[in-house]
Amino acid sequence: MNRLAKKIVPHIILTVFSLIILMPLVWIVRVSLTDKLTAYKIPPEIGTLGLNNYVDIFERFPFVTWFANSFIIAIVSTAIALPLATAMAYSFARLNTGGALLRLGVLASQMLPPIILVLPLFGVFLFVGLTQSRVSLIVAHLSISLPFLSWMLVSFFEGDMARLEEAARVDGASRWQAFLLVAVPVAAPGILAAGLLGFILSWNEFLFVLVLSGPGTQTLPVGLASLETHAGVEIAPLAAATVVSLLPVFALLPFLRKHLIKGLSLGALK
Amino acid sequence: MNQSKTMEAADRRFGWFMSAPSLALLLAVILFPVFWALFTSVHDYTLIAPNFDTFTGAENYISAIQDPAFRHSLGLTAFFVAAVVLFEFLLGFIVALMLNSVERFKPIYYGILLCPLLMNPVIVGLIWRMFLHPSLGIVNYLLTVVGFEPVNWLGSTQMAIWTIIMVDIWHQVSFMIVLLLAGLSAMPKEPYEAARVDGARVYQSFFYITLPLMMPVIIVTLLIRMIFAVKTYDLIYIMTRGGPGVATDLVSYSIYRTAFVSLNVGEASAMSAILLGFILLLTVYLYRYMRSLT
Repeated sequence: MNRLAKKIVPHIILTVFSLIILMPLVWIVRVSLTDKLTAYKIPPEIGTLGLNNYVDIFERFPFVTWFANSFIIAIVSTAIALPLATAMAYSFARLNTGGALLRLGVLASQMLPPIILVLPLFGVFLFVGLTQSRVSLIVAHLSISLPFLSWMLVSFFEGDMARLEEAARVDGASRWQAFLLVAVPVAAPGILAAGLLGFILSWNEFLFVLVLSGPGTQTLPVGLASLETHAGVEIAPLAAATVVSLLPVFALLPFLRKHLIKGLSLGALK
Repeated sequence: MNQSKTMEAADRRFGWFMSAPSLALLLAVILFPVFWALFTSVHDYTLIAPNFDTFTGAENYISAIQDPAFRHSLGLTAFFVAAVVLFEFLLGFIVALMLNSVERFKPIYYGILLCPLLMNPVIVGLIWRMFLHPSLGIVNYLLTVVGFEPVNWLGSTQMAIWTIIMVDIWHQVSFMIVLLLAGLSAMPKEPYEAARVDGARVYQSFFYITLPLMMPVIIVTLLIRMIFAVKTYDLIYIMTRGGPGVATDLVSYSIYRTAFVSLNVGEASAMSAILLGFILLLTVYLYRYMRSLT
């Protein structure tokens, strides 16, 4: 009896926990598939299921623009940050550039609340007339992705990497060659995973876009937030919009699993 | 000797060369804005008169600290951070221990709990707002089905902060689970076997083996979560806008309001600087702790 309980109790707790996590997600998918009236019915009715809301959001809201803005801003800012961060992380890990103080500075940059940065950035962009442009959002997102990527990538260049490179140097490779032809290819899977995480960080970012964007440069999170106020209580299309904006993140998740822990723990855990 | 010295110098040059582009960019997008904020915090700078004509010294700081609303938001943020970190840790540790003890279905449980992890707080907030709607939400409906009174989740001053805490737990508990589980699965097996041979009970091996060995992982996880909880903004914006009244007015949102509703950027910058102090303190502690581990 006792042994059976020992085996079953964890499964009961884990099942209940999993259901609590899943319930809101399942419910939102269901609402997105019902028609507008059924979505409000309490007690809930299944009604007829269909993809109307998904068509609706593209027809009635600038959903394509939001999606495209999110995508362009996340791709461009990650594409700029990733090579730069890779080079800096390498110099931290292998050459101890700047020592402990510089590393602390990079960590602190990552920990800064965006609200502290957004006021000055707003002031600067106002001054140079770049508010409401995508450039300002890309620059602002660099302040999030660059420190994150630099910090995360350091651990990929530590450990056995040094010996591989030394072998290459003995064979006559320059420092530059050792970095480009040995270190980067060996760390490539980690660099790629870090890049995907950087993409998601930018994809999810809200405050900078809220303050710095104009009508044409809004991204998905800000668009969704405005949808909620403009469309009042139209929960069916809102649910559909939510589902669509979750898709890229869920699609990337499987590719991240191996390096997720490193990313979340800021490299402290493997 | 001489040659190794020139090698060292060349290495150092190469290192600076490699990090120079990033450093230049960080200077522009992090350091410069931080200094701008500090500079603004000692001037009378508003969005109506955005200039540095009037130097005010510590005036913005004094009026921020004397402002009951700001003090309230600092206290509320401390409470919020303590509550979410504590509950997420306790719940996360239980789930991580359970996950570590099962073999069957483990990938399924793990796959499910990964779902909220990288979700946008804006989306989390929107989903839960619909879910918790007082009359149209499914949660209140289910409560009445089982015989409870419906709850005014976000409209009541007492309840709102707890609702935010609850939603944050739903969103972030997976972070704790994933990291704590990583720590648990990296633990050596030998001490447990030795303890079993010596007749130790389950709770004894937990308190005398698991907990001490897990301490570094626990501290790093708690510190990181704590720093990120201090920054909570999106959830508040979407779910309550700091309300009802100031019941959920966390510090990031309070700064936002001061700058963009009251248009007083000078005072908002002073508030930012105070927040910056707290964050830096936590970060230095985290950094020193991480370094002491390696």
